[in-house]
Amino acid sequence: MTDQPRSRRYSIGLAIDWFFFVFAGVAAVWLAYLSLTETFHVGWWGVVFVLAFWVLLAYLVLPRLHRILTTIYVPDYFIGRARTSDGLLGDPVNLAFLGEAQQLHAAMAEAGWTKAEPVTFGSSWRIVTSTLTRRSYDEAPVSPLFLFGRQQDFAYQQEVDGNPAQRHHVRFWKCPEGWLLPGGSRVDWLAAGTFDTSVGLSLFTLQITHRIDADTDIERDHILQTLTAADELITVQILKDFSTGYHARNGGGDSIRTDGDLPIADVRHVPAVTR
Amino acid sequence: MTTAPDKRPAFEPPAQLLKPTRYDPDMKRPGSTVAGVVLVLLRVIAGVVWIASIALEWQKYVRELDVSYEEVISTPQIAETTLLVAVIALGVFVLSDAILAFFVLGGHNWARVVIMSFSAISITTSFLQWWDDGLEISIATTLLTVGLDILILLALSSRSAAAYARRNERP
Repeated sequence: MTDQPRSRRYSIGLAIDWFFFVFAGVAAVWLAYLSLTETFHVGWWGVVFVLAFWVLLAYLVLPRLHRILTTIYVPDYFIGRARTSDGLLGDPVNLAFLGEAQQLHAAMAEAGWTKAEPVTFGSSWRIVTSTLTRRSYDEAPVSPLFLFGRQQDFAYQQEVDGNPAQRHHVRFWKCPEGWLLPGGSRVDWLAAGTFDTSVGLSLFTLQITHRIDADTDIERDHILQTLTAADELITVQILKDFSTGYHARNGGGDSIRTDGDLPIADVRHVPAVTR
Repeated sequence: MTTAPDKRPAFEPPAQLLKPTRYDPDMKRPGSTVAGVVLVLLRVIAGVVWIASIALEWQKYVRELDVSYEEVISTPQIAETTLLVAVIALGVFVLSDAILAFFVLGGHNWARVVIMSFSAISITTSFLQWWDDGLEISIATTLLTVGLDILILLALSSRSAAAYARRNERP
């Protein structure tokens, strides 16, 4: 038993923060209740209040409740899954890479992938307009997912027939210095590739989100196939049964199936380009 | 057997909730902070409208106000003075709200905490009146102000707004 003194990692200020964080979550539940009961009193205007109730519930109340609860009950170490900003389990980590960031960028660009823009107000608005008008937006941002407590470093995507509801996408996270995969292999990057099939409601937060294809292996193999086809300097080694037995759901409530293999793509021989 | 390390529990300790925010002086202002400030400014506008509506019908409000308390009989002079004091107090509150919003936008944590405290007190008061005394909270009465208070609290208490306000604090 180690008996090191544990440093207190919290202060009065942070306790105040969390008091308000939880207080606001509870107050929002009350506000949602008030707006729901109000719908019965205002006739046709009730439709507006139902909409307000849904917006409150999906975008403010449930995310905050999930944030509070998952902080406690979802372990914060590597479990082969990315997490959403609310702390729910997200897409499975199904790819690993060896190499530098610039080499990865070069390999992905050569394989016909487009780097996703960061989420800003402008890019979010462009998603809405391009979805409504069915116009192409191939640098559309992807939602943030978290691994090692960090948002993805970058993401790549491919559109399908110019339809913004469907796309291939893969998020990349740099592994912490000296970090080893369970089992002891060393990799530089982990990635989660999934295929968006349509736009729908999330099961856990009721938010509008992309639904992903349950068979994540198809997307994983598609990414590898495009990479190796574009550049023969890229070699692939496979960790068999790395994550066998994911029969779970991601943060949007979609089910996931996989054979559990983790391919490790080696891009260390790809010439780096500065982008 | 060698000394085994502590077994890791299957859940994170609740103290995890109190993990400090990151030291990041160059952090960009997050949307939640901006949203909070916009909502506070809406509250300021609502306050100004309220003051203006009293000022426009000053005599009507003075006539309707009855400040009789025990032996003191309400006279028009007393009523007018009381109303004046109340309106000035409201004006000071609205003005300080606007000034605090400005400081929150600049990323000052104390201003954020003060505004959140105001909102929390206001919400608690409304809730107690609603729960105990059956105060009706509808769109015709106070639903908008209560809603505004709660949305302000949600926006400013979010992790990103907290991280921005504390971006200069070293853990």
